[in-house]
Amino acid sequence: MDVSKYAALFLAESREHVSACNQLLLEWERDPGAVEPVGGLFRSIHTIKGMAATMGFTGVADLSHRTENLLDALRHGRAAPRPETFQLLFRAVDALGRAIEGAGTGSEPPADEVLGSEIDTAAGATVGDQRPGAIAPSANQTRPVQVTIRSGALMRGARASLVLRRAEAMGRVTALRPPAAQLEREDFDGRFSFRLESEASDDEVAAALCTAGDVEAIRFEQTSPAEAAIGIRGRQIRVDLGRLDALMKQVGELVVAKNRLIVLAAAAQDPLFEELSDRIARLVSGMQGEVIAARMAPVGEVFDRFPRLLRDVARDLGKRIRFDMEGEEIELDRSILDEIGEPLLHLIRNAADHGIETPERRTASGKPAEGRILLSASRERNSVALRVSDDGRGIDRAAILAKARREEMADASVETLTDDLLLRVLARPGFSTAEAVSGVSGRGVGVDAVMTRVRALGGTLDVKSEVGRGTTFTIRVPLTLAIVRALLAVAGNERYAVPLAYVAETVEFDPGAVTSVRSREALLVRDRVIPTVHLRHLVAGAAGPAPPRRPTIILEVGDRRTALVVDALMGQQDIVVEPFDAPRGMPPFVGGATILADGAPALILDAAALL
Amino acid sequence: MPDSPTLHSVIFRIGALICAAPAGIVREILPRLPATRIPGVSEAIEGLVNVRGSLLTVLDGHVLLHQERRADDEGAIVLLDVGGRRYGLAVGQVLDFLEVPAHSVAQRADLPGVDPRLVRAVGLRGDQPFILLDVEALFAPIIGADGQLP
Amino acid sequence: MSHTVLVCDDAIFMRTMISDILAQAGFQVVGEAESGVQAVEKYHQLKPDLVTMDIVMPDMGGIEAVREICKTDPEAKILMCSAMGQQALVVEAIQAGAKDFVVKPFQPSRVLEAVQRVLG
Repeated sequence: MDVSKYAALFLAESREHVSACNQLLLEWERDPGAVEPVGGLFRSIHTIKGMAATMGFTGVADLSHRTENLLDALRHGRAAPRPETFQLLFRAVDALGRAIEGAGTGSEPPADEVLGSEIDTAAGATVGDQRPGAIAPSANQTRPVQVTIRSGALMRGARASLVLRRAEAMGRVTALRPPAAQLEREDFDGRFSFRLESEASDDEVAAALCTAGDVEAIRFEQTSPAEAAIGIRGRQIRVDLGRLDALMKQVGELVVAKNRLIVLAAAAQDPLFEELSDRIARLVSGMQGEVIAARMAPVGEVFDRFPRLLRDVARDLGKRIRFDMEGEEIELDRSILDEIGEPLLHLIRNAADHGIETPERRTASGKPAEGRILLSASRERNSVALRVSDDGRGIDRAAILAKARREEMADASVETLTDDLLLRVLARPGFSTAEAVSGVSGRGVGVDAVMTRVRALGGTLDVKSEVGRGTTFTIRVPLTLAIVRALLAVAGNERYAVPLAYVAETVEFDPGAVTSVRSREALLVRDRVIPTVHLRHLVAGAAGPAPPRRPTIILEVGDRRTALVVDALMGQQDIVVEPFDAPRGMPPFVGGATILADGAPALILDAAALL
Repeated sequence: MPDSPTLHSVIFRIGALICAAPAGIVREILPRLPATRIPGVSEAIEGLVNVRGSLLTVLDGHVLLHQERRADDEGAIVLLDVGGRRYGLAVGQVLDFLEVPAHSVAQRADLPGVDPRLVRAVGLRGDQPFILLDVEALFAPIIGADGQLP
Repeated sequence: MSHTVLVCDDAIFMRTMISDILAQAGFQVVGEAESGVQAVEKYHQLKPDLVTMDIVMPDMGGIEAVREICKTDPEAKILMCSAMGQQALVVEAIQAGAKDFVVKPFQPSRVLEAVQRVLG
């Protein structure tokens, strides 16, 4: 039995438990009297211990064992844990995280004996007579267990004894059927049952009993929440992301072929062919939906690490910050999710570092001493908005405006700094938000890094800030990257794809509604003045005269809008974003390229660049 | 003549010029394909073509070498690996695959109307001179992203 | 970091075979014992990660040896090597503290599975 092939699984599952531990610790720290967090912590650590021991990762197993003892002591101790204890537990979970990463990738770090003995000391101090390693049995956790020994196994009686020894190591065994003597004589059909009184979860019991070998099945008759969880887990499998990517790529090609087929079928005017093509189109669309759904994961997976991180940042800065999250259940494509963590991290750090004031300053300006940062996710059409808001000091617009004038990004006539211009100044490479706040250079992650990452995902970044009230950064990203629904727009004899994610509506261009805003042409649409962009002018080179009636696409990113006037619309199509080498000088409004149903390449317009 | 070193080249015509590219970097020769123009970029970029489901940037040899496109040309695209990437070079006509004895290829010589920096060598095909292009030098000002694509 | 093993069996053939199976799987056989008394001595001397223990040996049997070893080290990882028909003895060994068992004739895969279980 080679356990090394389980390393990836061990790593994935242990990471989840470490992440859960961090959440639970935060929850517990907020309410040290609560009893739920410690139970959950104990179970997670115990599970890590079991897995690590199975994998032979002795360092991880040892550290989790000691941490488990401390938790057990705390759980049975009368006094609520003290701040130092939380700090110690956070350190233990961190060390465990590192040890797991190391072990999972083949190099378990050396044991931190100092930490280990601190944990042991704390465990001993909390409850004097707690024996380390002993899992205290409790009366309310008794459950029936039914074990089946594999029929081909040798010496099934001896095997049953081994299973019982494992069970006894976890708690008290009663009501053994058939009785021991009969089992030892192998006078049974391979099945036996008993009641086990133990704190361990059903998962843990099953795992431990299976280590006796030749166990075919273990059943727990009663339905407990833990067992229900096993049921759910049974309906899920872990799939390597590479496989999903490969599948997605194939489905992408299938979508292109399907689009092609529809065109051919329509031209052939053969009802049978057309019916078949319809059927294939439906199947491919269904499949595409399933694959995209399979790639979706809740943003909570990325959000989860922020509370812990923010807690540490706030501690280091000597600030009091309350961190809240909303919309963790909103789903995003895995590949976007993997990329979005870092930009969010930058924004959250910035908010804590430069946004939120010190408690003294806050109190002096009549604000509550505790600052607030809110991270939220929400669905907007075909995109997801991720917001980082703080109720801190806000950005000093006068300072930014002065800077914008110095760098000739704004001329002297500009009186007020719009949010747009603010973002453009902030997103200048090398410009730090520390500067934005205090007007002096300092530490701080440039907004340009965030902007670059977000743009690379086909997303947009927005900022709103009010002095004294706080700042909100909004990242908007498409739901999925690989296949997007797009509107085909025509200019001259060229076709361009406009992703629907940012299309608010399409209207007819009405020359009578043309007005101007800040010396730019604009369109009045239902009493709203929207700046216009003519696709023909934009791509300079469209042949022939513009038609008299022109459709207009209203693009919308956040609350900014642009009216894109085109020659004609050719309906919607699922397009697959195809990689290509961008030549030098390619304009920013080209967001990528795709292959249309008729096989011709077409460029994808980047809505954000047109706003 | 046992082991006389030879040079494998693909010979093509661009306008009035007979050119060659080392066979080692030539991946494929395709008929002329409809290209999608990319606005705002150099005129030497003909656009994007669909090569069996992949997008390829095609550069126009005529623009690069300041040659007039000839009306009777069928047109072809020579797929080249340059700097680790693949590009298409639109030419007038592909003429030949040639194994030239290395001694018949003279190092750089001045040819009227051709930037000498784009010429790696000059050779003879029969009695006709041809230029062995320095493809990297030819493409360098055009390709390579300053604006990274998503 | 390979695990160290002490192989205890009165038959040199069995010792050689078990040693080979384990060595090929990357274990380090650090000692061999041909009696129960020797097994106990060498266990204390070598502190191996794993012991394979024959049940029937001269000079103190395997079960006695398991009992002796577990008296000082209850966590000792001992794998019993038994023959068909010795079930009662195996059960006794398990109650004495043995962690697993294999049944002769040995199949390498079964031996290694049991070893992994014991070390796990």
